[in-house]
Amino acid sequence: MLPVSPAARPATVQAFRLAGDPEVRVVLANVGLACCSMEVEAAIRTGLLVAEGASNDAASSTILLVSGTVTDALAPAVVRIHEDLGSSARIVAFGACASTGGPYWDAPTVTKGIDQLLDVSTYVPGCPPRPDALVAALSAMTREDRA
Amino acid sequence: MSEESSPPVRGVIGLIASACTSCMLCVRECPTWCITLDSHTVEVTEEGARRPRTVNVLDEFSIDYGLCMYCGICVDVCPFDALAWSPEFDYSAVQRAELVQSMTRLEQWLP
Amino acid sequence: MIDIDRGDWLAEWTTRHATGFVYLDFLTGVDRVTSTEVVAHVLNPDSGERVLARAVVPSDDPLIDSLSTLYIGASWHERETSEMFGLTFVGLRDDRPLLLRTTLGRPPLRHDAVLAARVAVDWPGTAEPGGSPARRRQRPAGVPDEWLDS
Repeated sequence: MLPVSPAARPATVQAFRLAGDPEVRVVLANVGLACCSMEVEAAIRTGLLVAEGASNDAASSTILLVSGTVTDALAPAVVRIHEDLGSSARIVAFGACASTGGPYWDAPTVTKGIDQLLDVSTYVPGCPPRPDALVAALSAMTREDRA
Repeated sequence: MSEESSPPVRGVIGLIASACTSCMLCVRECPTWCITLDSHTVEVTEEGARRPRTVNVLDEFSIDYGLCMYCGICVDVCPFDALAWSPEFDYSAVQRAELVQSMTRLEQWLP
Repeated sequence: MIDIDRGDWLAEWTTRHATGFVYLDFLTGVDRVTSTEVVAHVLNPDSGERVLARAVVPSDDPLIDSLSTLYIGASWHERETSEMFGLTFVGLRDDRPLLLRTTLGRPPLRHDAVLAARVAVDWPGTAEPGGSPARRRQRPAGVPDEWLDS
C-alpha cells in the first residue's frame, strides 16, 4: 500500500439540490481523477446541481463520486477517502474508466473499475457522461430513498 | 443560474438491425473491443433465381457501454449505416453487467 | 527536424542554449525498433524561434547524454523517456522513474511491449460473418503479426 497524504482527501463534502427536481437533495464528495470530473464541475457550474454549501450530514447519506480513471497508483487514495467518510458512503462510478477501466482496460497501470476495490451502487456509462446523465443517475439513486 | 443544457446529439450509439449484414467491420474496428456480434447463415431461395442465396442473419448484437469510449468509429465504418447516434443519455446501471446493452435496447434508441 | 549525431547531442544543444534557446518544451523518444530517436523541442523566448532536433540511439547501446545540466526541466522528460523507452541518459543525476511504479518487463512505449490484457482477452472480431469458422487469422487493428500465435 502506498502512503496516502492527507491532501488526497476531497476538499469538501457538499450538499446540492437537483435543479430539475428541487425536492431532491444530495450530499456529494467528488473524487476528481480525470476528465469525467470536468462533467461533474459542468453540472455544478451550469446549475443542474445547485450548491447549498458544506454538509454536516451523516456520512451514510454521502454519495462518493469516482470521476475518472482509477490508476493503480491512486487507487489506494480512493479507498482511503471512502474509509475517511466512514466506509458507508454510496459510490457512483462515473464514466467508463471508473466503471470498468474504460478505454484503458488494457493498461497495466489501470485498475479496471473502482468496483475492483469497493462496492459500487451505480455505474454511469459515458466517456464522459453528460452532466445530465449524472443528474439522472443521482435522481434514480435517491428515488429509492424517497420512496 | 440554471442554463439549459444543449440538446444532446451524440448521446449513445443505437442499431438499425434490419440494415445490419453481420459484416463484422464495426466489431473489428472498435478500439476498445466493446462490440459483440453473433450471426449465422441461411439460404434464401428466390423465384426465378438459378440458385439459392446465402444471407447472414444477425442473432445478437451488443455494445458494452462500460467499455465504450463513444469514439464513433463503428458508426463511421459501417457500410450500411446500421449504427447511428441517438440522443439518449439516461441508462445508468446498478450492476456492472447491465452496462452491456443488447440488440433490443440498441434498436429502441433509434425509433 | 534537425538531425544531430548522438555523440554531439550535448554539444549542439550547448551551442544553441548559448544563443538564446533556453526554453525546453519537451524531450521524448520515438521507437524505431532497431533504434530509438530522442527528440527535443526548444524555443528561444526572445525571438520566438523554435528548434526541433533528434538523435538516433541504437537499441543495442541505448545511451545518450543527458541535457539536464543545460535545461533543468529536462530531468523530468528524461526520466519519463528513460522508463518508457528503456534508454539511459548519461549524467542524469535524478534517474528515478517518473511515472511507473515498476520497471519490470519491457518499457511500455516500445513496440515490442506486449499488452497482456489484449492477448488474454478473446477478440470479438475473430468470428466470421455468418458464424462460419475463421477462414484466416483476423488480427485486431494495430496488433503485430506474431501475436496471438498459439
